[in-house]
Amino acid sequence: MQANKPENFYQNVKDALAQPDLKMIIRRTTDKAEAKRAEAIANFPGFENARKQGQKVKDHTIKYMDHYLAEFEKNALAQGTIIHWASTAEEASKIVLDICRQHEAKKVTRSKSMLGEEIGLSHALDNSGIERVETDLAEHIIQLAGDPPSHIVWPAMHRSREDVIKLFREYHKDPTYSEEIIDLVRSARRDLRTKFLTADIGISGSNFLLADSGSSCTVTNEGNAELTITPPKVHIVTAGIEKLVPSMAHAIPLLRLLTRSATGSEITQYITFHNGAKRPNDADGPEECHMVLVDNGRTKMLADGMEEMLRCIRCGACMNHCVVYKHIGGHAYGSVYPGPMGSVLTPHLNSLEVANKQTHACTLNGRCEEVCPVNIPLPKLLRSLRAQSWDKKYEPLTNRFVVKAFAALAKRPMLFQWVSSCGVIFMKLCSRKGWIRSMPLAGGWTRNRDLIEPESKTFMQQYKAMKKAKSDGA
Amino acid sequence: MNKQRNEISRERIFDAIRAAAPTVTADVKAIQAEAADILRESEFARPDLLADDAADALVQRIEAGLVIGTSCEHIATMDALPNAVDQFLAKYALPKALQVQRIERLQKLNWGSLSTEVDIKNDNTVGLCWAEYGIAETGTFVVHSGPDMPILLNYLPLYLIAVVPRSKILPYMDDYALIANEIAQRGETPRNMCLISGVSGTTDIEGVLIQGAHGPEVLHMIIVEDQ
Repeated sequence: MQANKPENFYQNVKDALAQPDLKMIIRRTTDKAEAKRAEAIANFPGFENARKQGQKVKDHTIKYMDHYLAEFEKNALAQGTIIHWASTAEEASKIVLDICRQHEAKKVTRSKSMLGEEIGLSHALDNSGIERVETDLAEHIIQLAGDPPSHIVWPAMHRSREDVIKLFREYHKDPTYSEEIIDLVRSARRDLRTKFLTADIGISGSNFLLADSGSSCTVTNEGNAELTITPPKVHIVTAGIEKLVPSMAHAIPLLRLLTRSATGSEITQYITFHNGAKRPNDADGPEECHMVLVDNGRTKMLADGMEEMLRCIRCGACMNHCVVYKHIGGHAYGSVYPGPMGSVLTPHLNSLEVANKQTHACTLNGRCEEVCPVNIPLPKLLRSLRAQSWDKKYEPLTNRFVVKAFAALAKRPMLFQWVSSCGVIFMKLCSRKGWIRSMPLAGGWTRNRDLIEPESKTFMQQYKAMKKAKSDGA
Repeated sequence: MNKQRNEISRERIFDAIRAAAPTVTADVKAIQAEAADILRESEFARPDLLADDAADALVQRIEAGLVIGTSCEHIATMDALPNAVDQFLAKYALPKALQVQRIERLQKLNWGSLSTEVDIKNDNTVGLCWAEYGIAETGTFVVHSGPDMPILLNYLPLYLIAVVPRSKILPYMDDYALIANEIAQRGETPRNMCLISGVSGTTDIEGVLIQGAHGPEVLHMIIVEDQ
């Protein structure tokens, strides 16, 4: 599957809505995640306090980011970690490739990292002829399928069991002919096991960077991060600079929030703090550890007043609860980061000119903000991006005309009421048995769903009638 | 050249941060005090334990099925460990063979009819490790990498047994963070500090939970009283 482009958002959405099973496949996972999160929160009476504490940890670190970044660098260097700095995605990717070439790496294993996707590392490795082995099961599935990820926690949620059966039979050395999910997972276990142990370099992301120790922290439910990092001679970490927290003690409130919000589990199975390279007498572990610290638009977010977005801990709760995401899935956004958080991030990682349409793919119902474990005001940030997009004239001319026409009407109440009543009459004429199946100028709505027939009178007509009846009665 | 490029990128990032969000104070003590204040809220921002005693709380969490794929039992002394392991192997109809961590307190035990090895192989079925700590809040055991602790011992076998000394079971993750800080102050931070709370699992195919994705499918924690 070719990766969609963010600038083609409208076409991407049309294509997604035309896929008959996509909505059902997405909802199978997101609805379960939504229910499990609600249960986990109900079992944690201190959750609201934890959210406030988590927000404070992130805000404090962002406020003193230069201090903590320098402290992290000093302590990581003291642990023997080699630090690299990358302003852009291309620079970050090149640094990783250079390290791989220096070590004449032929095979690298990777544990799931959204930052790795953001900096285009998968393509860079593939293009350089280095064998790339994705070790997270979902990433393994989409690597075999040639798909981009469609969710930040479940990147292969768009793929059905039948798809996985076909892929594993085609690509695994010793595939299963069973259709049971457990046998499919075992097939992947067999296929990946030798690759874990024979890789030249292991590449991971990082959920948290601890400033006071120079440590990176990985969080997985499969244990693939440790299997990726431990056997090879070299470990490369790629991490965004916003992953910083002051200390392990400050990461813990965020760990409490992360898995409850992501999957509804109280904790994920494997949390590991990595402190540089192997010590002289260690039984195993990499001999060299590199850390690539990536900006790629994060400092621009600080400068643009979007620092609240830097709180994000990548739990995916906002997309699990988003009515738009649940209809169109992740690929339609044309970005590594889909859903509400992606609609705010992508304009900074790419450009607002390219990704402004995504900021409108939101009903502003506020669910994303309600469930965000660090209280990111996503609707406010989306509205701010919409305003910037308007000011920079990125909106199509038709949209600008419609908005201006609405503004003109809204300023003239009598005219507004007259046009509204004409609209109601027109809609009534288009409806059959309580539903409008198609209507001129409303193809965008009726192409994929029916529109409910309106009331016979406008709100203002009904309000006036009610007021009159009341005064007549009095 | 690369060094120079690295230095330029570093400066660019720091300059951009300072231009966008200049540090309000350069007083490190004031920053540390502010960071410490945030941690004072932890008491009201963490879940209740299932029992007052940390070890009891950890056991209750496991017995309630809240730790994926995990069971537990108590033994009074280390001498009872080989028998407990033997019974575990019998329960799962496994061969009487296992990989035992290379530490004296485990190696010196009389393993009787059980065959023990220290070398980790790709196809080892059962591993036995000594945990540094337990954490009641999350049903966790903690291992630290070192000369006697190969990290892979905890990730390669399909069945894993972790021996946890009762006296080292901590109530909350925050308590472990304090200990990790003390270890760091002594300059003894290990390469890896692994918090393991259940078995390797995945829900990546149709949202169905499968245990044993890459690592253990079954985890058994044996809590030993006299350590």
